[in-house]
Amino acid sequence: MRRTLLKTVAAGALALGLGITGAMAQSFPEKPITIILPLGAGGSHDLNARVFTSIIPQYLDQAMIVRLMPGASGQTGTAAAASAPADGYTLLFSHNYFDQLQQHVKDLPYEPTKDFVTVARLNSARFCLIVLADSEHKSINGLLEYGRANPGKLEFAHSGQWGAGMVPGARLLQWAKVNANMTPYRGGGPSLRALLAGDADFTVQLPSTIAGQGDKVRTLACVNDEPVVGSPPTFKSIGFPTELGEMHRIIMAPRDIPADRLAILREAFAKLQEDKTYQRMMGRLGEDTNLMDGADYEKLRPVQSDDYKALVDSMTSG
Amino acid sequence: MEDLFVSMGQGAAILFNPDTFLLTVLYMIGGLLLGMFVGSLPGLTTLTAMAILLPIVFFLPPIFGIPFLLGIYKGGIYGGSIPAILVSMPGTGAAVATTFDGPALTRQGKGRKALEMALFSSVIGDFSSDVFTIFMIVPIALIALKIGPPELGAVLFLSLIVISATGSGAFVKGLLVMVVGLFVAMVGQDPIGALSRFTFGVFELRSGISLLPMLIGLFALSELLLNIEKRASAYIDPNLKSREGERLTWPELRSCGRTIMRSTIIGTTIGIIPGVGQVVAAFVGYAAAKNASKHPERFGKGELEGVAAAEAANNAVNGPTLVPMLTFGIPGDNITAILLGAFVAVGMRPGPELMVEQGPQVFAILLAMVLANVLFLIVGYLSIPLFARVVRIPKSLLMPMTIMFAFAGVFAVRNNPTDLYVLGAFGVIGYVLRKYRFDVAPLAMAFILGPEIERSVSQTLSLSQGDLFGYVLFERPITVVILVLTPVIAYSLWRRSMKLRRESQVMLSQKE
Repeated sequence: MRRTLLKTVAAGALALGLGITGAMAQSFPEKPITIILPLGAGGSHDLNARVFTSIIPQYLDQAMIVRLMPGASGQTGTAAAASAPADGYTLLFSHNYFDQLQQHVKDLPYEPTKDFVTVARLNSARFCLIVLADSEHKSINGLLEYGRANPGKLEFAHSGQWGAGMVPGARLLQWAKVNANMTPYRGGGPSLRALLAGDADFTVQLPSTIAGQGDKVRTLACVNDEPVVGSPPTFKSIGFPTELGEMHRIIMAPRDIPADRLAILREAFAKLQEDKTYQRMMGRLGEDTNLMDGADYEKLRPVQSDDYKALVDSMTSG
Repeated sequence: MEDLFVSMGQGAAILFNPDTFLLTVLYMIGGLLLGMFVGSLPGLTTLTAMAILLPIVFFLPPIFGIPFLLGIYKGGIYGGSIPAILVSMPGTGAAVATTFDGPALTRQGKGRKALEMALFSSVIGDFSSDVFTIFMIVPIALIALKIGPPELGAVLFLSLIVISATGSGAFVKGLLVMVVGLFVAMVGQDPIGALSRFTFGVFELRSGISLLPMLIGLFALSELLLNIEKRASAYIDPNLKSREGERLTWPELRSCGRTIMRSTIIGTTIGIIPGVGQVVAAFVGYAAAKNASKHPERFGKGELEGVAAAEAANNAVNGPTLVPMLTFGIPGDNITAILLGAFVAVGMRPGPELMVEQGPQVFAILLAMVLANVLFLIVGYLSIPLFARVVRIPKSLLMPMTIMFAFAGVFAVRNNPTDLYVLGAFGVIGYVLRKYRFDVAPLAMAFILGPEIERSVSQTLSLSQGDLFGYVLFERPITVVILVLTPVIAYSLWRRSMKLRRESQVMLSQKE
């Protein structure tokens, strides 16, 4: 009797266990999802995350919790996400420079492409090259020609080594064979100050920042396809052959995440993109809502890697 | 100038609109209370609270949302000085100077006096600097733009000299500890090329030593270790009469009037220079008060004037810090970056156009800042008795609780277990140093300022394009002036400290 009872209980427990596992696959997520930011509080990733994590629970039926883990240019947080279980409950909110450029300049304790798969590219930030309004450089071609004729004379104030404000400018200079003097500042704000104070000839900033400067600065070129502020030419229109100058804000998951869970997450972000409140809030922040599906973004990653490797090689060999 | 007054009048009309004013005040009080709460718990920083609550601003009219965030900001800064005064636990670099006299006062049973002195001097410093900022917004903006890497580097170097010269210990010991701080700050990645150094192949060290665990270890843990050696009765005076401790008296506040005004001027001036900030202001304010005092030997042993000097100075930085953000859209630190996000979210894009296009709205917000100070005086004063009761907690409970808050708070900031080791290690380092009568403050200050100095010097080298002397001499006159003044100021400080030591030795020998 006792034995049968035990058996029944065991069988029941097993069945229950199986039942739970079966249900889990369907009802993911059943607890809050943690999203690791390898960046600090108050930056643009933080602000973007605050917006989407406040709306996405409507589409996931679970909360999404932001965990800030800054340090070592993103390595601390990325390493933590890489070593988290691949169950879909730990995600990473990063950008393409941490994802594909850093591996060419640093010895990382993880392999970004092998360890992470893209859930979605949330949006992108498209940078523009600006000079002061009273600058002698009237056009992008004029600036580059001056730079070629006077090696080392042009002063480029950028937002930090291998960062989002540096790479687009550095790649343009590399492509145009211009040798400029590059000074890193601590973020976009200080590099803008350097331009306004006359310490630099040009800098690379976000359109939303440039818009606030009114007629104090002149936009010479932007990396995106569609012209924005005051219709300056795009990098593409002067023959610069690539479209990889944007900063992509990407949501990644550990590579071994179950396919059904990845699909659920991707679908939630696709729905978020259509959400009116989300669009309004992002619009107010001056951020784009140009979502790219994770599967499409995966194709971009190897292209970025080759491109950044070429840039790093050319900058570190000279 | 006339336009300025017209805008200001219109701004006042927006803020004091009878339909919305009461709600604005309520939101601000909510923000202040919340800020005080998160500020007083280590690990819950003002910055995080503001980042998390930023989305609220998207759903509220600007005249409620922005004052709410400003409330968190102002409440948070004061909140940080509460644990600094009560249990010697600075939540930020800005509160370090407050730990020199605050905890000593608490042990003498004057915790409430210290908290009230901190409140009054914070509010006076903040209020005056906000009013100054409103009238001087244009000139402040122009000066802020003139301060580039060379000027910043020179100012920070001078600050470091002042800090090491005014420590409580011997000058040479202060310098030694400072060098240790500079080295510790170098662990991790260099601020220019982001290359790893002094990490000895340990991945956890790549992100460098984190500030908060180091501060809490050096100041709070070491203090606990030192106190464990003492008897409970020697820790907090057992003969305290009232439950909350004595209130600050009017003569006490009045006697600190000069100090508060001096610190306010120092703090406001430092606030105008972008990138220097509250940490330096608090130290320089403290140093100046000690220098001007008739009895400098009392500083560091529980002097109300010391608390007043540090708190007035670090709060007076707040007003001018907002100017580059408002006028150029350049945030000076992470908190102003969040405020920038909030401004943009409500349709006010900071930059040169903002004052022209939306002058009245800007002034409405600036006036709201002034109002926040007045409200804070009331809210803070009413809540102090609650905090002051901490001194009545028996030592056997207070100490384990402090240790718990230290470890939990340090972990909460970055969720990084390495920070716990850092906390423990610096607790021991702080204990040993203090046992051997080294002042630990120069270590913390060098740690905070070292990377900033390194960055600005490297940037200056880059900007000079190989001709450093020519560049600084001919293109950076302000830098030259500061660099010439540095040895003069250092020499006078050193002479003063020698004189003080001689006097105290004479006094000691006379006693014998």
